Amino acid sequence: MTETNRKNWILDILMLPVGLITFFPFYLIIVNTLKTPAETAKSPMSLPTSLNFDNYVRVFKEVPLLQSFGNSLIITVISVLLMVLIGAMAAYPIVFNAGKTNRMIMAYLLAGFLIPFQTTLIPLFELMTQFHLVDKLYGLMFIYMGGSVFVFFLMMGYMKTIPKELPEAAVIDGCTIWGIFWRIIFPLLKPITVTAIIYQTMWVWNDFLAPMLFLNSSDNATLVLQVYKAKGEFAVDWPLFMTLTVIVLIPIFIFFILMQKQIVKGIVGGAVKG
Amino acid sequence: MKLLRSFQYQVFLLPILFFYTVFTVYPLIKSFFFSLTNFNGYSKEYDFVGLTNYVKIFKDAAIVSGISYTLLFAISTTILTTLLAIALALVLDRNFYTKNIHRAIFFFPSIPSGLILAYVWGFILSPIGSGVLNTVLHDVFGAGPQPWLSEPMLAKLSTILVAVWAGAGWHAVLYLAFLQGISKDYYEAASIDGANRWQQIRSITLPMLAPAMTISVMLLLTGGLKVFEIPFALTKGGPGFETHTITQVIVLRGISEVQFGLASAMSIVFFLIVLALTYFQVSVMQRREEKML
Repeated sequence: MTETNRKNWILDILMLPVGLITFFPFYLIIVNTLKTPAETAKSPMSLPTSLNFDNYVRVFKEVPLLQSFGNSLIITVISVLLMVLIGAMAAYPIVFNAGKTNRMIMAYLLAGFLIPFQTTLIPLFELMTQFHLVDKLYGLMFIYMGGSVFVFFLMMGYMKTIPKELPEAAVIDGCTIWGIFWRIIFPLLKPITVTAIIYQTMWVWNDFLAPMLFLNSSDNATLVLQVYKAKGEFAVDWPLFMTLTVIVLIPIFIFFILMQKQIVKGIVGGAVKG
Repeated sequence: MKLLRSFQYQVFLLPILFFYTVFTVYPLIKSFFFSLTNFNGYSKEYDFVGLTNYVKIFKDAAIVSGISYTLLFAISTTILTTLLAIALALVLDRNFYTKNIHRAIFFFPSIPSGLILAYVWGFILSPIGSGVLNTVLHDVFGAGPQPWLSEPMLAKLSTILVAVWAGAGWHAVLYLAFLQGISKDYYEAASIDGANRWQQIRSITLPMLAPAMTISVMLLLTGGLKVFEIPFALTKGGPGFETHTITQVIVLRGISEVQFGLASAMSIVFFLIVLALTYFQVSVMQRREEKML
């Protein structure tokens, strides 16, 4: 049809204001990082009169940003890698060693989807306190391991598309169960592994509730937690707060730009299989 | 030999079974156990109090408010986001010059943490001098400042709209994926039969989107029930307990006030709400999918 191939410029005109309104909050925080509190109070929406990067210098002086960035990075990278590994490993026997027991184990694991984190919060708080895991970066990682059930679900769906003959042939060739997983199955899971990594990275990196409850000291704060703490301290200094926000948003936006194609593919893949 | 192989396979399940049982299932069971006691988190001595905590829930103004606001939030964000996301997906599926930049713009708000997005909106909705929306209202319409975050109805509305802004683009991408899977043949056949654009949307596009809707609505509903960050950052749950969420109540009563029994009863009620609503929604929508195809 020629009609769909021709570009519809009327849509450009109609969508322009909608797009502008949607983007407006991002515009607002960026322009205000270059102003003083007085300027912001006077005209929050206008472009800054001069390029003044004082706020950026001040934020780096007042907030231990590099340390928090490191904390977020460590927590995210280790939790996500473990979740992906544990989830992929669990899918392997469920798919290739199917049987009554494993069907029951699968049902047991998938029930985890229906258990909201909040439901387990009070006992988890007690458990974490009892084992001195509060205010430890690795303590928080235990909390995130529940996410491996979601990875397991994604991996299981994908693994079913691998022909059964493949591991069977490898067994005949003398390959062990361990060898098959690490050398054959796991490398074949690459596309869904990328999806799982993206989903879980966005979740762990952006999470606020668990760090708020389980990390107390400023030394252990994640970037999101640092924004929360600063909200009280910089109460009246909106430009300074906006500057912190912009800096904190940069890593996740870089991640988005690098992964853009895969993120969209991941949503699609997850949705189609879900 | 076969048994040994089977055993080697099963070893791969051990890590997930350990973490899932210790950090999800065991705490759920313990929540249920705590909910029947007057455990305060510290003293080793506590008694079984039967269903007292469950009765208390419905006498606690903060909790009742938390449940009703959370339900209102979950249902209205689900409906509004779905309508907006489908409309957006239909538009973004068409061919226009700024299509790609618009896709990026609408997806942008789903990348950062909800806490940060809500703080940015707090700046826009603030009643003080720099409150951007009130400044616009004053300069353009000469209207007085509106208490966007401190009047009960407006606060509820504001938190819901910010959540819709943050989520619509993500769900539009989900619908867009399904739209692109619909074969062009259907539309060609329909236009030969003389169906106009609207008739085509109604009898081809929307039925084909039914499976996407089941998934998207499930994600929105469960996500909405678990909401915490956006109302917490925008209104702190206020005014009064008007925008208190279930999660906030559990944290407040359980961890701040160490009423483990009461907060656990709240958790179990929450679990049952999530279970019932999800089951109801998925079964209804799957039946609808079958009818439409």
